[in-house]
Amino acid sequence: MSGLHRLGWLSRRDWRQRDVRVMLASLMVAVGIVATIGLFADHLQRTIMTSATSFLAADRQLASSHPLPEAFRSEAENRGMATARQIAFATMLQGGEGMELVRVRAVDGDYPLRGEVEIQDAPGEPRRMVGHGPQEGGIWVNSRLLRLLDVAPGDRVGVGDVRLRITGVLVRSPDAGFDLAALAPRVMMHHADVEAAGVVQPGSRVTYRDLYAGTESQLSGFHEWLQPRLREGQRWRSVEDGQAGVSDALDRAERFLLLGGSLAVLLAAVAVAVASRQYALGQRDTVALLKTLGLDGRTIGRLYLLRLGLWGVVGTGLGLLLALPLFAVLAHIANRFLEEPVAWQVSPTALLPALVTAFVALFAFAWPPIRRLRGVTAMQVLRAAPGEQGRWVVLDLTVAVVAIFGLLWFYSGEVWLVLALLGGLAALLAVLTLLSAGIVSILGRIRGGNRAWRLALVALYRHRRSGLAQMSVFAMVLMLAATLFLTRSALLEDWHRQLPEDAPNHFLINIAPEKVEAVGDFLEAHGMSFEALYPMVRGRLVRINGEPVRQAVSKHDEIGALNRDLNLTWMAELPSDNRLQRGQWWDDTGGEGVSVEAELFEEMGLSMGDELTFRIGGQQVTAPVRSVRSVQWESMRPNFFMVFAPGKLDNLSATWLTSFHLEEGRKDLLNELGRQFPAVSILEVDHFIERIRSIIAQVTRAMEALLSMILVSALLVMAAVVSATLGARQREGALLRTLGARRGLLVGSSMLEFALMGLIAGFLGVLAAELAVWALQYRLFEGSFRLHAELWLVLPAVSALVLALMGRWQLSPVLNVSPMLLLRRLED
Amino acid sequence: MSEATDAIIRAQDLSHQVEVGAETLTLLSDINLSVAAGESVAILGRSGSGKTTLLGLLAGLDLPSSGTVDLAGERISAMDEDSRARHRANRVGFVFQSFQLLPTLSALENVLLPLELGDVRDATGRAKELLERVGLGERLGHTPRQLSGGEQQRVAIARAFAANPAVLFADEPTGNLDTTTGQQIADLLMALNAEQGTTLVLVTHDEELAGRCNRRIRMDGGRLLDAATEPSL
Repeated sequence: MSGLHRLGWLSRRDWRQRDVRVMLASLMVAVGIVATIGLFADHLQRTIMTSATSFLAADRQLASSHPLPEAFRSEAENRGMATARQIAFATMLQGGEGMELVRVRAVDGDYPLRGEVEIQDAPGEPRRMVGHGPQEGGIWVNSRLLRLLDVAPGDRVGVGDVRLRITGVLVRSPDAGFDLAALAPRVMMHHADVEAAGVVQPGSRVTYRDLYAGTESQLSGFHEWLQPRLREGQRWRSVEDGQAGVSDALDRAERFLLLGGSLAVLLAAVAVAVASRQYALGQRDTVALLKTLGLDGRTIGRLYLLRLGLWGVVGTGLGLLLALPLFAVLAHIANRFLEEPVAWQVSPTALLPALVTAFVALFAFAWPPIRRLRGVTAMQVLRAAPGEQGRWVVLDLTVAVVAIFGLLWFYSGEVWLVLALLGGLAALLAVLTLLSAGIVSILGRIRGGNRAWRLALVALYRHRRSGLAQMSVFAMVLMLAATLFLTRSALLEDWHRQLPEDAPNHFLINIAPEKVEAVGDFLEAHGMSFEALYPMVRGRLVRINGEPVRQAVSKHDEIGALNRDLNLTWMAELPSDNRLQRGQWWDDTGGEGVSVEAELFEEMGLSMGDELTFRIGGQQVTAPVRSVRSVQWESMRPNFFMVFAPGKLDNLSATWLTSFHLEEGRKDLLNELGRQFPAVSILEVDHFIERIRSIIAQVTRAMEALLSMILVSALLVMAAVVSATLGARQREGALLRTLGARRGLLVGSSMLEFALMGLIAGFLGVLAAELAVWALQYRLFEGSFRLHAELWLVLPAVSALVLALMGRWQLSPVLNVSPMLLLRRLED
Repeated sequence: MSEATDAIIRAQDLSHQVEVGAETLTLLSDINLSVAAGESVAILGRSGSGKTTLLGLLAGLDLPSSGTVDLAGERISAMDEDSRARHRANRVGFVFQSFQLLPTLSALENVLLPLELGDVRDATGRAKELLERVGLGERLGHTPRQLSGGEQQRVAIARAFAANPAVLFADEPTGNLDTTTGQQIADLLMALNAEQGTTLVLVTHDEELAGRCNRRIRMDGGRLLDAATEPSL
């Protein structure tokens, strides 16, 4: 070790070396970007969660069909969390002359923990948001119910044994979500009145919900405590398990952030690898000299490890310092757009990926070429040995691929994401290797064109080794940036397609068969577009191949659709947004059977041809599984788990439903509709759709910010890669000027050379990106794939331009001084 | 023909100063010099006497503070940098003390460099021919790191003659080589110079090498010494 101490001063000289500075800068940018993304993603997640938790009216819900133990809530309160109780049940509401079946939500004084309730004092009055439910003795009902029962605010309605005064018109509750199963109109009353009403009897269908809110650590701590105490039928829900539309949007946004972060990690690794390789090459003479002076390989190994560790600490520290202001700015910008800004905080766990990235970048990418310096012979002082052997490159590449795989996996936890990216990269390298041989041999023969053009081609040929490596990195960087760009566009397109401006935002349900035609005419007469009217009966799946469902499906309790009545329909044509995945749709000649929604089919572990038995009213209906469909749940059109062939359910009493789009300004038509068809239930989901849209808008802004950061880091990596050969290029430029090259010629040929590299790298980048996106799209984002012609034009052009500018930039130091001075610098 | 019209290089009242901080340093003063086409001239002097600066100004690598330089029929001291560059590319070759080969390029590619700047047909053929002439026909693909000092200077000489220059400027061409190798390099340089009919201006400490030139010029303190021009034996 004494040698180490004595040679410590060597590392002080390192700072003056360009390669070391490039490596440090790469590491700093890498750590900085990954840390910024980590912090920003964490911030966004909390922001989105906070705004999305209002869909649950809490951060978490615990639901059960039996009363929940008091102990759960008191434990949560002891932990400093907020709690609230809710009971949901169906009952008959008596008012005026009639009675109506309603879904009741009985809430306590603490409800809601997140979000607000929207009410009106009377129909037609302004809507307002309040942070509580009705007081004891009061009830909020929706306007349709007022019509059906012919009552008005201030009147009393009967719920079981109590009579409650209507104190408000319920427009929207934060946890109303969107559930077609809830066919009946909704009302909200106070929790304390439930007992007196006497409507909740043993055996009646009731859902008890405890609502919880707290910090993320309180919630996870409480969940840990709760988990072993949960009994069968008690279900813990977070926003993600909440609403199909919201959780889907969140899910995809999260994946996008992960993808963006992974790309930043990859870019960082590449930059560090390039710089360290360059550094190691430059150190060969120094190592040879040290060996001549008597230092052994082990000491040299330690000496360089020490230096690497030192750079690691400095680079990482600077990177974290860079991340903090960057994140603060981003969080500030994001908050300006948000309805409910969240205070920004630096969470240590969000920084972990940055630290791991630094560690892996240093030891899997920077260390291997530097470690091999130990093997440099002292003889090299006298005579250079041949360059690095191929097997080392293969070994380095293997280590790098394994490290990248591990790093990405650690970072994203998504094997498919990793495989898609690595697959794209592998394809890129393969094509590049194939192409390079061809391109290089063609370049070697080209001798036409003007002087700058010819000089550029010759230079490209001359720099084929370093040029090819640089081109691979450029292509990789471009691929990563393009992948992110394409994924973002695809996500936005998908979201937009699912929720277009004219997405259905109102549902009509409970349409009696004899009114179907009249309702259709009404909608048409008022220019409200609707796709179709669907018949529907309610039924529960009870047997599979004759065996009770509870026994036939192992995950029975976890599958919501098996624990409630389902909406069953029949239709002759496959709905336009459903896609047939297996089996065949029945043709016009008739047929028998049922078509099952794809996810449910998988979850239940069904096979084609399985006999499903449903209990509908008092009857049982059995039909074989004939096909499997994917369903766009977010489309806001009527969607069904089970679709029967026409005829099978004919003799069961069905009601019909449809959905349509209605602009905000034409809401009056709903009253008209309600008057003409009092028995038809109108479900207004426009506010729900607005919420999803606003979340998507937030997510989109976040994605845009992330994309620009990645693009900036891509540019930095490219600059780092260009600067790796800066010294050699400038030396060449200086010599060429001495030998009589005009400045214009040098600039022209250098820009052309780099533009050509950019063009080729751009094409390869798009090719690989299309491949990666194709894989990602199918596995992660479930979107449809198409080729992106515009990108094939734009990316190569942009990358040619950017690289041409870099080619110009790298020459500047040799353009503006006299060749005499250049010569003296060369002689030094 | 008079000496003046015959001269391929002519420097008149040449002076050169540089600013170093607040001080003005005079590197050359009152240089008057003519070199005839086909002549070989050695410039001798101690380190810092201004030899290399003079060589650079004669070759058009920099502009003098005052005075004129004519090279191969053109007044290069009145040209801008790009015109001088074009002139250099067509008429001038260089050999440097530290060879100045690009480390990432092979011997062949190094020789190709000046050819790529001009419109030379079959540049590769010409470069190979020259490398064979300097005895490196078997080492075309080797990079400078794989060549000895003498071999590297051979590559540099091949590069210097590649574009058929009218004038070859050599700055201490044997300065980094041992006596025997230096001798061989000097032989090669002289032989190629004679073969190609090139005018040679070389800066050297080596009296023996200088003695092989037609004329020797001595410098001290940025001036040509009186009676500096002595014909060689």
